[in-house]
Amino acid sequence: MTWLVWRQYRAQGAIAVALLAAAAAVILADGLQIASHWHTILVTCAGNSTCLQQQGPLVNGVVSDLPYISLIVPVVLGMLWGAPLVGHELETRTSEFAWTQSVTRTRWLTVKVGWLLLAAAVCLGVITTLITWWAGPGNARFASAFEPGHFDTQGIVPIGYAVFAMALGIAAGTVARRTLPAIAVVLGGFIGLRLVISDFLRQHYMAAVTKYYSVTGSFTPRGQAWVLAQGAVSRTGRVVATGWGDLYPALPASCQKLLPGTPGAKSGASLDAVFSCMRAHGWRGFVTYQPASRYWPFQGIETGIYVLLAAALVAVTFVIIRTRDA
Amino acid sequence: MSTAVETHELSKRYRRVSALTECTVTVPEGRVSALVGPNGAGKTTLLRILAGLASPTGGTACVLGGAPRQDPAFLAEIGFLAQEIPLYGRFTAEDHIRIGAHMNPRWDSALARTRLAELRIPLDQRVGTLSGGQRAQVALALTLAKRPRLLLLDEPVAALDPLARRNFLATLASGMADAEGGLTVVLSSHLITDLERVCDHIVLLTGSRVQLCGDIEALLAEHKILVGPRKDTAPIERTHRVVQTAATPRQSTLLVRLSGPVVDPAYQAEDVTLEELVLAYMGAGEASAGRHLTTVGEGS
Amino acid sequence: MISFRVNGRSGVPPYLQIVQQVRQALRMGVLDVGDQLPTVREVVAAVAVNPNTVLKAYRDLEREGLVEARAGHGTFVRKRPPGPPPGTHSRLGRSLARWVREARGAGLDDESMESLLRVTLRAADAADSNSEESA
Repeated sequence: MTWLVWRQYRAQGAIAVALLAAAAAVILADGLQIASHWHTILVTCAGNSTCLQQQGPLVNGVVSDLPYISLIVPVVLGMLWGAPLVGHELETRTSEFAWTQSVTRTRWLTVKVGWLLLAAAVCLGVITTLITWWAGPGNARFASAFEPGHFDTQGIVPIGYAVFAMALGIAAGTVARRTLPAIAVVLGGFIGLRLVISDFLRQHYMAAVTKYYSVTGSFTPRGQAWVLAQGAVSRTGRVVATGWGDLYPALPASCQKLLPGTPGAKSGASLDAVFSCMRAHGWRGFVTYQPASRYWPFQGIETGIYVLLAAALVAVTFVIIRTRDA
Repeated sequence: MSTAVETHELSKRYRRVSALTECTVTVPEGRVSALVGPNGAGKTTLLRILAGLASPTGGTACVLGGAPRQDPAFLAEIGFLAQEIPLYGRFTAEDHIRIGAHMNPRWDSALARTRLAELRIPLDQRVGTLSGGQRAQVALALTLAKRPRLLLLDEPVAALDPLARRNFLATLASGMADAEGGLTVVLSSHLITDLERVCDHIVLLTGSRVQLCGDIEALLAEHKILVGPRKDTAPIERTHRVVQTAATPRQSTLLVRLSGPVVDPAYQAEDVTLEELVLAYMGAGEASAGRHLTTVGEGS
Repeated sequence: MISFRVNGRSGVPPYLQIVQQVRQALRMGVLDVGDQLPTVREVVAAVAVNPNTVLKAYRDLEREGLVEARAGHGTFVRKRPPGPPPGTHSRLGRSLARWVREARGAGLDDESMESLLRVTLRAADAADSNSEESA
């Protein structure tokens, strides 16, 4: 049975390996260049944060979109490998040929699903390793590893995405008995689930930490943390502003008068006076965030969610194949 | 003598349609059984249940001593050829032979290659580009190379030209000769004259029910056409089973299943051909909704 | 070597057709004593009939003593079918002519006579095989 899977997929496998090698070459070449540029910057600025901020971008143009490979490849694999795995065979009835060749349906499905899921996981394993390495300097510079767009494309979650997209394609192809509807389900389902998870669910994997600090000072979470919300709270704890834009209109009148440029303000005033006024009113700053130390736990949780969903889909596939008429 | 296929009140019901209704069928080992009936009668459904590709909604099926099941040993004994002749279009015949070798415990690659060589079918051409007749022969060669004990063929010659049909049946008969009595075949088809040469057993389905099941020779001996002057047929009907009647003002023609000798000298008894028998039962089956289950003794 | 033809529509069972063709071949000299009959597989591949049909025909011929099966080698002709004793043909021909005159006198045309002959032959065959089985 393994031999049959090999024989059916060896051409596609060769193409996949070639594409992977090409992608690896591109990522490696670009990543090495970024790394050396970053090294130069570090040496030049020697810890001076102003100097760091003034440096130009590390990554230019199209190549800055490289990380999206980690999102595109899972859905492509789900459409090209997952959807036809069972769907195409049911469509052309070659499944009936296989099922009357002394191989049970369970074994047939186990070997096919096993190898293809493994292949997809390995593909993404290679890609995500490369992309994570490639993004290292950028993450270090902007402390951005935990942020949406970076979290999804690095670490181990892309492997979970690939396994899920494959399982979704396999299950959809099994239910529909055809490939094309399954492809549509993979596309829609993958995009939809990712939106739901990354926009709504991810921030709640663990209860976020909220830190209050004096408005005359500042607070930045250490390391590559994920800032969910920040702003100012009033004496009663009510959030009064979540950004510069709505801070000023919310200020008490007595503090607003102190703004530089406002009629009636003392000349030579600075923002410090405004902040002192805010503090006098009992206002504090706040930051709600997920600490950097939670990066890997979150990676684990999200990967686990996708893998569990994939397992459920695979289980459903097995039940249908075993009990439904051919 | 053992039976290869035995079903008892087998039924298969889809949501609103009954594909098989209480079918009881027996096919002894070593027979070539013709599965005949109009389209939609349930032939494909019966074959698929026997092959383990579908499950019944009522009754039981016993194939080679056990129910059809997901067990490699059982699956190895059955050869199934679906009407659509499913093969991997991108693979060559040689590829398929190698696939078979990897997937079956008992596999005779040489047999398949020899057969296809005899028919001059290229082994290195993609199966999807072969003609219908050639694909059917490739599929049959693969099924025979599996060395099954039971072959289930679903309208395998439906789309073939007469020469391809003859070649197919000859290959099938050769396979039977090679198996020396160890192979049982159930073969569904519309073409009764083709079947007569190769088949010695018949199962006739109409409207999801079994109308006839038994050895052809015995069935033909049991049925006669009675031709005589037009008169009251009630005495005949009391003794024998009248399957079909045709009457002109002067003459009656009856196809009867005999339960003893015909005593009335006014009737002339003639032998029935298989085609006449099948057509009569098919007509009778469609006309009445009742069950006409007959199983003739399989003694041999 | 003899090649067989099986006519599906002749009304004669296939195995009987094979038996008759062997006998005819022996009478006409196409087959001689010691010749090998085609193997079951050869017949079946050429004519597309059930192997049991051929086996049955060969068994019948063996029972009549015309052929013998040698294990592992095949089936071989043993002797010719017994012909009618001399003078039989002419004697039977004369009684047949008498019958034809009588039938024509009764009003039968050639076609009715032929059909009557066919029916009678078939009935005689059936009676023969019935008596063989009960013997």
